[in-house]
Amino acid sequence: MRYRIEHRTGYHYDAPVSRCRNEAHLRPRDTDRQVCVWSDLVVDPAPTGWNERTDFYGNPVASFVVDGPFVEMTVTATSLVDVVDGDPLPAVGPGWHEALDLLTNDLSPEMLDAREFCFESPLVSTAKVVRDYAEPSFVEGAPLVDAVTALMERIHADFVYDPGFTTVTTPLDEVLQHRRGVCQDFAHLAVGCVRSMGLAARYVSGYLETAPPPGEERLVGADASHAWLSVFVPGWGWLDLDPTNDKIVGSTYVTTAWGRDYADVSPLKGIVFGGGNSHFLDVAVDVHRVEVEPT
Amino acid sequence: MDLTHASGTLGSVDDPTELAAPQGAALAPPWPTYDPAPFYDELVGSDGTPRPSADALWNHFAELGPDGLAERQVAADREIRALGVTFTVYDGGVGVDRPWPFDIIPRIIPRDQWQIIEAGLVQRLAALNLFIDDCYHEQRAVSAGVVPADLVTGSPNFRRECVGVDPPGGIWAHICGSDLIRDAEGFWYVLEDNLRVPSGVSYLLENRMVTKHIFPEMFRHYSIEPVDPYVGRLASTLASVSPSTGDPTIVVLTPGIHNSAYFEHAFLAQQLGVELVEGGDLVVLDDDCVYARTIDGLEQVDVIYRRVDDLFLDPEVFLPNSLLGVPGLMRAWKAGRVALVNAPGAGIADDKKVYSYVPDIIRFYLEEEPILWTIPTYRCSDPEARARVLGDLANLVVKPANESGGYGVLVGSQATPEELAAAAKEIEDEPNRWVAQPIIKLSTAPTLCDDEVAPRHVDLRPFTLMGPDGAYVTRGGLTRVARRKGSLVVNSSQGGGSKDTWVVDSPSDTALAGGPA
Repeated sequence: MRYRIEHRTGYHYDAPVSRCRNEAHLRPRDTDRQVCVWSDLVVDPAPTGWNERTDFYGNPVASFVVDGPFVEMTVTATSLVDVVDGDPLPAVGPGWHEALDLLTNDLSPEMLDAREFCFESPLVSTAKVVRDYAEPSFVEGAPLVDAVTALMERIHADFVYDPGFTTVTTPLDEVLQHRRGVCQDFAHLAVGCVRSMGLAARYVSGYLETAPPPGEERLVGADASHAWLSVFVPGWGWLDLDPTNDKIVGSTYVTTAWGRDYADVSPLKGIVFGGGNSHFLDVAVDVHRVEVEPT
Repeated sequence: MDLTHASGTLGSVDDPTELAAPQGAALAPPWPTYDPAPFYDELVGSDGTPRPSADALWNHFAELGPDGLAERQVAADREIRALGVTFTVYDGGVGVDRPWPFDIIPRIIPRDQWQIIEAGLVQRLAALNLFIDDCYHEQRAVSAGVVPADLVTGSPNFRRECVGVDPPGGIWAHICGSDLIRDAEGFWYVLEDNLRVPSGVSYLLENRMVTKHIFPEMFRHYSIEPVDPYVGRLASTLASVSPSTGDPTIVVLTPGIHNSAYFEHAFLAQQLGVELVEGGDLVVLDDDCVYARTIDGLEQVDVIYRRVDDLFLDPEVFLPNSLLGVPGLMRAWKAGRVALVNAPGAGIADDKKVYSYVPDIIRFYLEEEPILWTIPTYRCSDPEARARVLGDLANLVVKPANESGGYGVLVGSQATPEELAAAAKEIEDEPNRWVAQPIIKLSTAPTLCDDEVAPRHVDLRPFTLMGPDGAYVTRGGLTRVARRKGSLVVNSSQGGGSKDTWVVDSPSDTALAGGPA
């Protein structure tokens, strides 16, 4: 499947900005199930400094400087990404206890790399309230894949999708208390639940196909950037799950970046000199299937 | 490593009894009721007589009498006020600037003991620097199973932005303030390694300055190791990591006047003869170089002795709302255009969980046995250790694993049943956050309290400098003293006092540092 993704972010400031410096996680990374064949990042006004690198987690990052004065800035990322479905799920994978034991005690590079995602991170707590919520899904002796699928189903059933209720920094205990939030909160919560059990989970940011194929339901979160989680299944790899839609992530999902939580991979962040007391932001995302020319 | 002592010391090695003239005439003890039992006292032996190293001091104080001593304390207090030596204590969110609390009765350490401690501190910092460098490169200690990954990628002090960076000489922690304590037998232990922005050295220097003024006669008769070479060694350590070949421009970066250690920042800048700057005084341009805004225009800065915490250093990389830092500083550091002292990310090794692994870290990187003792530390994340801790809470000190400055520490023996129950619940809920240690019966030293001299608990913070060209340890350190009777909390941020510390040329009468593996 090939997708064309356009992600446009507009900033509107109260007063002129003299300079800003930004970091963008907007170019989709390559993964086991996708290849970014082309991507373009356009900033208006034109940046005066530009640098691209790969971050700690292997995500492409662009940093740029824009000199003012300006009161509006637009960042548009356009990408073409080929995506396939992931490998079929293991019929009987490792039990979650077994996975826990490997993650805790095995010193192979694969386990050590995954282990980094077992710990708390700035936006994902593994406090007792989180573990208390997670525990019922982790039945004694259950395979890891079953446990995390059950967890995803519970989050989907227990929580209300409510844009506007939370912000990017709403802590998990608040999300748990009010039982509402958006995709990012559900991904953070699921990540926290998995980590609170001592297992490895990372936060994935990306996109969903905007218009579903005929006859299929349009998924929640399709008109903005989306977020889900990925759980490490020893011996198999990283399994992506979308608690917002209660779906195993497949070929209608495009990954941009992954990290410990939103703070590692936020699509755009930066600092601004000037700009007055407030600004507002508009974001538009469009993800279309494109026909691949037969070769 | 440079471990040689400066050969010249103040004064000459006179007969230490000379002060108590005339010879042989036994003076009454200066403090007849002084009884440190059951603790080890720094100056007074268990039989109530002075330790050999404190003999001359003891006799001199006997001559001075209580009134003489009180007069000298008044003189010291006046001098500290006149010099403006202050420390800010936070109370209920409000910072109160207080005169630096100083007790005039010095603490004495025999030189032969100090030499061992010094070697132990250099060994420790060398190993910790290798550990930090490893954390930001291959993480060999983790893959070899020496330390668990929790300590590295699981630590809130692990800075992903520092991965792959090679500071000069592989040294990340150039300045370390270690906390040393002694137990009831007088054995020395390391309690903490402070590798982030350790403070206290200015007070160490000021305490000596004040002591010289109020007890000038002591320096004629004791051979006391000087402390003032520290500033010169700090300057050469800072210069040694400069990326430029010429005469380096060094600055001290302070968070500003509201920081508890602002006095120290100003003092060190003045002593070093360099500019004291705040974040707004520096700018990083597109050439990734750091410049100071001066009245003559921009001047390139080579070395920044930064007293701003990692997370506030650079809003581009860390906390975006920080006004204390300099946007682009990390960029400049990673490009090798400026040296930051201590390097960002050094705090990874300054953590109570890492502390418990330091002996293993020393063996792994240096293939040496640790010279200094480490206090046994129970990591509550381990179920077995946790059970032991919960069963014996009243006899342990419970500490947050990632905090510094004595915040959140619970001393089991001094806690109420409610406090113990609350601590037990916190440990059960979030075991990863806590470590526990046996309560060490901290040594005491005679301290002037409300017109009487009484034993008060003390610790010691020496400072170690490490650069590509060698290491230096202050001779002695900052002795901090708990001012309330029985209190074990000596931290200045918790209202502790201080003493001048003398390393003297005198035989020791107690066991030396060092100990079991």
